[in-house]
Amino acid sequence: MDRMLTINIFRYNPQDPDSKPHMESFYIDETESMTLFIALNRIREEQDPSLQFDFCCRAGICGQCGMVINGRPNLACKTKTKDLPSQITLLPLPFFKLIGDLSVDTGTWFREMNTHIESWIHTSKEFDPEAEEERMDNELAEQIYELDRCVECGCCLAACGTARMREDFLGAVALNRIARFILDPRDEREEKDYFEIIGNDQGIFGCMGLLGCEDVCPKNLPLQDQLGFLRRKMGFFALKDLKRGKKKTC
Amino acid sequence: MWSDTTMHVQSSTRTPAVLDWLEVLSGIGLVLFIMGHSLFVASVIFGASTFNGMAGFFENTGLAQVGGPIIGLVFLLHFVLAARKIPFRAAQQSVIWKHARMMHHEDTWLWLIQAVTGMLILLMGSIHMWVLLNDLPITAEKSVALLYAGTWLWFYLFFLLFVAMHVAIGVYRAGVKWGYIRRENRARMKKYLYIFAGVLVAIDLVSLIRFYFLSV
Ligand code: SF4
Ligand code: SF4
Ligand code: FES
Repeated sequence: MDRMLTINIFRYNPQDPDSKPHMESFYIDETESMTLFIALNRIREEQDPSLQFDFCCRAGICGQCGMVINGRPNLACKTKTKDLPSQITLLPLPFFKLIGDLSVDTGTWFREMNTHIESWIHTSKEFDPEAEEERMDNELAEQIYELDRCVECGCCLAACGTARMREDFLGAVALNRIARFILDPRDEREEKDYFEIIGNDQGIFGCMGLLGCEDVCPKNLPLQDQLGFLRRKMGFFALKDLKRGKKKTC
Repeated sequence: MWSDTTMHVQSSTRTPAVLDWLEVLSGIGLVLFIMGHSLFVASVIFGASTFNGMAGFFENTGLAQVGGPIIGLVFLLHFVLAARKIPFRAAQQSVIWKHARMMHHEDTWLWLIQAVTGMLILLMGSIHMWVLLNDLPITAEKSVALLYAGTWLWFYLFFLLFVAMHVAIGVYRAGVKWGYIRRENRARMKKYLYIFAGVLVAIDLVSLIRFYFLSV
């Protein structure tokens, strides 16, 4: 456990006109059970108080600490230094707006995405705060929960070649969220409503199946399976719709 | 705001889905064609007369004269459809290149290989079809003569490699995109597809070697 770690960190402060993007190396002795969260905090405390990075929960829940660690987007608080070589390179997540150093603004993008896909239960039922909650089959609840575990860290977008090339692409995170609402019996939206949102090149048909998302998601969400499910569902819906449209015209 | 959709708006929103279907279906058609083509060429293993017999059958029935140009059109269609996703603009190219280098991620590289081989196949495939279909009938003798002329041997060596790679990666990625290759069987399917690519290369290589040493 007496490794000396070299941590190369991307430095740039867009607020400061004199700041130029560059890499800076910090040296730190590795301690037992060290995570990148601990390492970065020690660097900030002991070596450079101006270092910017985001953290909140340090337990893989808030999704704040996403960054590119030796080439792969991941959560810093979940990454143990013992699993990395002694040379570690940290870059901010691409795709999102840079705030400074390793800190990026994921919030604005996620807010827009959630508004765009209307990420809430659509129901015509009046909400009655007094009434007992509707019961749901346990297995189904678990299936929905599985997709709801997303912490909005943005790693899947940073790892997605499509999202990197095309800014309007919704990404696996949004598609996964739609899959979650499709499963939910309380949401009254129909296939055609979902098709309007994701049945296009910004949505499921833009996805090139590179599986960067699947392979980096720190919460191990079943993104690949959701993407396949949605493409089939939306693809077959389009065919059915095409047939219906033909019938109507003749 | 909600309004009833009109036919016109509906058809335009279905376009990406339809194009995606056409891309995968034309791809499947071409994979079947390539497999059939490899088997046809492999008939040379049993000698020049078997090969000539097969070629004669395709020509006498008009399959070569009609099928050839149709396959050419399907190739073109498949390319145009797939090209919607290929980065042609320099900015996008540099982003995806940096991205692939950053990620060290196998599937991202596979896609890049597929895009590059796709473009090469379009070019080399056109040359191949032009040369062969312009000089019908196809015979083992002419094929041998071609292989000994200039750099044609190298041309075909690379061509068969590119085709095998493109076909195997394409099948894998179509399976992933349409949800038939899932998380639980992905590693296994990938292995099968590498084997599939290997078999395709092997068959083509054996045919090529047989041509090369054919005494005609
Ligand atoms: S799907 Fe995974 S990688 Fe993407 S934002 Fe959610 S937790 Fe992060
Ligand atoms: S599978 Fe689709 S969403 Fe996931 S990284 Fe690839 S292109 Fe992006
Ligand atoms: S600090 Fe909350 S996920 Fe890492």
